[in-house]
Amino acid sequence: MNPTAAQRFLENAALKSADLVHREIIRRGMDSYDAAHLQGRARIKDWEAARARCQEIKREAIDHLDRYLLQFEEQVVARGGQVYWAANAQEASSYVTDLALRLGVRTVVKSKSMVTEEIHLSRALENEGITVWETDLGEFIVQLRNEGPYHIVTPAMHLNRGQIANLFREKLEPGITSDDPADLMAVARRKLREAFFTAEMAISGANFLVADAGVVAISTNEGNGRLCTSVPRIHVVVTGIEKVIPRLEDLAVLWPVLATSGTGQGITTYSTMIAGPRLPGEIDGAEQFYVVLVDNGRSQLLADAEQREVLHCIRCGACLNICPVFRHVGGHTYGTTYPGPIGSVLTPHLNGIREFKHLSFASSLCGACSSVCPVKIDLHHHLLQNRRNATEAGATAWSERLTFRMWRLAMVRPWLYVLGGWWMRRALRMLYRLGLAGTVLDPMRAWNRHRGPVPLPAESFRARWRKDHAAK
Amino acid sequence: MPQNKQARTEKTSAGNPSRDLILGRIRQALLTSAPELSAPAAPSGRVIFEPIHNPLERFQQECIANLTECALTTDFVSSAQHLAKVLASLPAGEAFVQDDSALRRLVELTSPARSIRWSSEGAPREASQVTVTLAETLIAQTGSILVSASCGGRGASVIAPCHIVYATVAQLVPDLATALARIGQERKLDRHSFACVISGSSRTADIEKILVQGAHGPRRLVVILQVAL
Amino acid sequence: MRGKVSLFVPCFVDQLLPEVAVDTVQVLRRVGYAVEFPENQTCCGQPALNTGYWGEARPCAEHFVRVFKNAEVVVCPSGSCVSVIRLFYPELLAHTSWRADAISLAGRTFEFSEFLVKIESVTQVGASFPHTVAYHASCHALRELQLGSEPLQLLHAVAGLKLIPLVRSEECCGFGGTFAAKFAAISGAMGNSKADSVVASGAEFVTAVDPSCLMHLQGILDKRQATARTISLASILASQSLAGGPAPVPAREKP
Repeated sequence: MNPTAAQRFLENAALKSADLVHREIIRRGMDSYDAAHLQGRARIKDWEAARARCQEIKREAIDHLDRYLLQFEEQVVARGGQVYWAANAQEASSYVTDLALRLGVRTVVKSKSMVTEEIHLSRALENEGITVWETDLGEFIVQLRNEGPYHIVTPAMHLNRGQIANLFREKLEPGITSDDPADLMAVARRKLREAFFTAEMAISGANFLVADAGVVAISTNEGNGRLCTSVPRIHVVVTGIEKVIPRLEDLAVLWPVLATSGTGQGITTYSTMIAGPRLPGEIDGAEQFYVVLVDNGRSQLLADAEQREVLHCIRCGACLNICPVFRHVGGHTYGTTYPGPIGSVLTPHLNGIREFKHLSFASSLCGACSSVCPVKIDLHHHLLQNRRNATEAGATAWSERLTFRMWRLAMVRPWLYVLGGWWMRRALRMLYRLGLAGTVLDPMRAWNRHRGPVPLPAESFRARWRKDHAAK
Repeated sequence: MPQNKQARTEKTSAGNPSRDLILGRIRQALLTSAPELSAPAAPSGRVIFEPIHNPLERFQQECIANLTECALTTDFVSSAQHLAKVLASLPAGEAFVQDDSALRRLVELTSPARSIRWSSEGAPREASQVTVTLAETLIAQTGSILVSASCGGRGASVIAPCHIVYATVAQLVPDLATALARIGQERKLDRHSFACVISGSSRTADIEKILVQGAHGPRRLVVILQVAL
Repeated sequence: MRGKVSLFVPCFVDQLLPEVAVDTVQVLRRVGYAVEFPENQTCCGQPALNTGYWGEARPCAEHFVRVFKNAEVVVCPSGSCVSVIRLFYPELLAHTSWRADAISLAGRTFEFSEFLVKIESVTQVGASFPHTVAYHASCHALRELQLGSEPLQLLHAVAGLKLIPLVRSEECCGFGGTFAAKFAAISGAMGNSKADSVVASGAEFVTAVDPSCLMHLQGILDKRQATARTISLASILASQSLAGGPAPVPAREKP
């Protein structure tokens, strides 16, 4: 029988948790991010005010989502662009694929877009014989390895330079001798320039959709987003419906906050604003411009008023970076498009609570994610709500439901609680004395596999209290 | 909904039934309000970014931080001299230059040894070694240049390994908020299909988080900033 | 007499780490509070709440409110339990007849160090503990109760105690309640990372305001046979060891 997503997660999590080499690579990467992030924060006078402002902007956008989406669409269409609304992943992917086929596209260059991962667009295009090139270096690397991105901002952070050099040697240029990151970048640049200049279509995501200006804002450091939007004759933007913001000037705070949270920079190197296809008299730029607005479960999340704010996410990756679970199991273990805390909160809404509830349980609820989220999403409390929703939907094991029913019966009957506690300590002490710790008879075996056993005192606190106070 | 808007809605949903479906879902969802924000939103009195009192100094500091080469020049002639110096430091190959009268005069003064392709002739060629353009605005807060499609097109600021910007101090604004407000006021994005805030050379840290300059865009961004006309 | 406090002892402290409660009482009395212990108390409901069984957590919360509703102030040596009472009881009991009592009780239930420092402005409790100690910032106390400096203020006032900085002191230890069993491998890995920092610091002891963190960490340290030991903040504050003498670490009954 095929393992469920939850079983796969447990297996991979156990493997990665024990992988000290992997842990060290991630540790170094995150230490580097921590240092940069601190520097970035120092540039902003009042970080809490910045967070509150960004939360306010996204709240306004989501609270009036239909109005702002329509305003955005109107502007884009007025300038000669086309807007297509896709209800789900399949529809979005089919639309773009059909469009590419209709327009005679043989090669596509892609600038980073998590939504295109979500709808499995590359696979759909490749099935039709269209070559797809990921142009973001990290995405390019994982594409060559046939794996998904490890992290939403730094897709290849789990690899070292040696592994990347070997990969390039094997897949691109057999003569590569250097594993210096600058030399490796040069190899990728050479290869991808061919693609930029021959591709008929570029597909990008959007960091923000600006309603009042009808602008698609795309931030990259590498310039791949720039080349994608300057050279090929067709530009397709694939974006979630929640990316909209009300005004162009909102970018004055969103851009620095996105960059600070994402990489520790003051602002991403290329903060691009695309207002449509090239205008008459312009010498370059796409002749045809399409925006695909993808729902795929987002309107459903919108309907959940308690969790609606999850749609405020600007995909900065800060919650992944700070999450101790992510730091120990890494991005691939989640097995979802979006890993980390935001992924754990979001995925049950996009892909179903029954299959993906385990992600909401795979957390110690430490709250670090919520404390760093630049738009103040209460992530860890949403994880808890997902847990509640899962049990209320009857999606948890009957044995667990029974256990907690019995637990509750004891907790409202002090005599039963006292008796149960005494008995548990007594039984465990006997069990351990018989050398059965860690065996299938040991109810604490999950604990004892990784830790020394818990203390089992002869007397509880209340027994001592009673004794001390009876003596008086 | 007003009559004409309704007509447009019906018209645009024709080939795209999901449009109505999604809009319907959104409107239905928004009938329920989300809980009030637990802490009050930032009162408008709180200042997010430190006000910038010396934009020129700040611009130069930020350029150093984001690896932009910023050269202050006193007049047109010294600007041309600096341009000549930078061009001489670059490998041989075509230069793509925005077709503007000031740039034409500037380039002429450098007595260029390389072939020049002007933006009026078309888009920059893939093998360009250097591009020279004007900018719309300079932004002190982040050490950025704002370019639009009118600054030699979209590719001019990304195709070649070196991008040189010629600007004057009069173009400098303190912060992003001012620059973005100006885009709106001057309706720049109605008249041009593209604009970009560029803050440094192209870079990546995708390999071991080590910063590498010159990913897909220019390795060198040079700003020749003339302080007087 | 400073006043009377009602003591809430977390279920796992009552059953597995009674010395934490004993020491909490000792310190409160030393500073001048009368301590009462309502014997009908059981649990705050966190295990059920955190596993998503809010229907089972609710009667447990009602029981708690019933037991403590007439208390002047409730003090508890556990940041996570207090965060449940303060942050979740009003929501959990919102549609029951206990709503008003829950809201009121949430406003007068405090974690032990929070009570001493924030509410009573007491930092000096006459403790002496001449050892090197590292401080782990338990997540619930830090992020749900905003307890940042208060435990440290108490530690700074302990005679002879040398506070050793801990790398990544605010990173979760990995306990997380039922997470420790359901995702034991991840929990263990996180615990080991925390133990790495403790060992690297060279401190003899590591302390925190959440005994659940310490219980988990002690298990990790025991498995590694490390020399560093956990000790609750309450036990440090109760300690009045003579300088140079052995640390009066509470006797731990090994199975």
